[in-house]
Amino acid sequence: MPGHISDVTTLAGDWPWEDILDNELRSLLAKRQTRPLLGKHPVIIAVDLYDLVYDGGPKPVVDLMEKFPASCGEYAWAALPATIKLFETARALNVPIVHVNYDNRPETDPANIHPTNRKRRQANLALYKIKGELAPVEGELVIFKKRASAFFGTPLCAFLNELQADSLLFVGETTSGCLRSSVVEGWSYGYPCLVVADGVYDRFLLNHKVSLLDLHLKYATIVDLAFACKAMRAAKALVEAA
Amino acid sequence: MRDFEDYCWRDLLTPEMVQIYSAYHRERAVRSHSALVMIHPPADFVTTDTEWHNVARSLADFMRQLELPIIHSVRPGERCDERLDARPNEIICYRTTESAFLLSDLEAHLTRAGANGVVLCGAPMSGALRATAVESKSFGYKTVVAEDATGDEASLLRKMALFDVAHKYADVLTASEIIDFLT
Repeated sequence: MPGHISDVTTLAGDWPWEDILDNELRSLLAKRQTRPLLGKHPVIIAVDLYDLVYDGGPKPVVDLMEKFPASCGEYAWAALPATIKLFETARALNVPIVHVNYDNRPETDPANIHPTNRKRRQANLALYKIKGELAPVEGELVIFKKRASAFFGTPLCAFLNELQADSLLFVGETTSGCLRSSVVEGWSYGYPCLVVADGVYDRFLLNHKVSLLDLHLKYATIVDLAFACKAMRAAKALVEAA
Repeated sequence: MRDFEDYCWRDLLTPEMVQIYSAYHRERAVRSHSALVMIHPPADFVTTDTEWHNVARSLADFMRQLELPIIHSVRPGERCDERLDARPNEIICYRTTESAFLLSDLEAHLTRAGANGVVLCGAPMSGALRATAVESKSFGYKTVVAEDATGDEASLLRKMALFDVAHKYADVLTASEIIDFLT
């Protein structure tokens, strides 16, 4: 499976975008070319899994907006168990995890310069702290970024070369924002990219589904947690057999 | 100025979606020394809607009259899309990846041209144009996308890409609204 073009099932059950398909989209999907899956040396990129997006608890985003305007609420919390499981599996198999966080040093955060046009009513920079359950362990790399993509203005490319990465597995948020632009750039730099659907989320389902579909059509392969774990085990087996 | 959600994506909206994205609502504008970056679609790009070419051409004509920089982003090994009417003296930047910026000389050309903003048109909206809009914002340019001068292979992908870009990264305006700002 790893390294080969393949028509294996990468996600059990229905695709997340099944209910939004029209004829145009069905015909694009029919023309989609399969892409290489994981290589021998995958690296996990975990985008923006900081406390801010879990703020206010597992509630509908619309109910949290007033007090916690940056929260992804129920969607963030729903993705947490799968992301914990992915990290546990990766660590057991020595698959490196690169954590991506917002650079919250106040001197890099002047007024009127922002990664997106969102009005940031909540200025608590302390909440840009990777969620405890997902926190980096000793030896894991953290990228601090100021812009949407994890690659823009950061040493991520260099880290991936030093880790000898040959493929990327993405989790994080938001599907239509930082996660998406990081996947597009991962693909642009030549890496096969898998996106673990169970660990990816947004503030609104339609944006989430359309971006997952777009990523699957153009740049990446959408997979579920079980496939991601299986692919990491297969990669390790290939390395050991060599 | 029309309402922030009164765009081609209006039929996708629900009250909940509007509320969740209301944090991005703001004034829209075009900077006076903006460069026009035209995203020429790949040679194998197919679209049923071709009116966007005409709109893109008139926007380019107007910006030419103002002597604003016009830069064409083209896939390596391909030629300019004839329907976008590039002029022989205009700069071509080769787009080796998805964004017109990444691994190209576009940023250097914009700096040399003294551009303080970027206006984008072309296709596909959900692919190269969207990726370019995100990077243009990342590079610190006031970025504008000409709504009616963008094409795509699928209507839903185009509308959602415009919605996402309008809320997070760029001001989305029609070509005639852009012309009004620059006049």
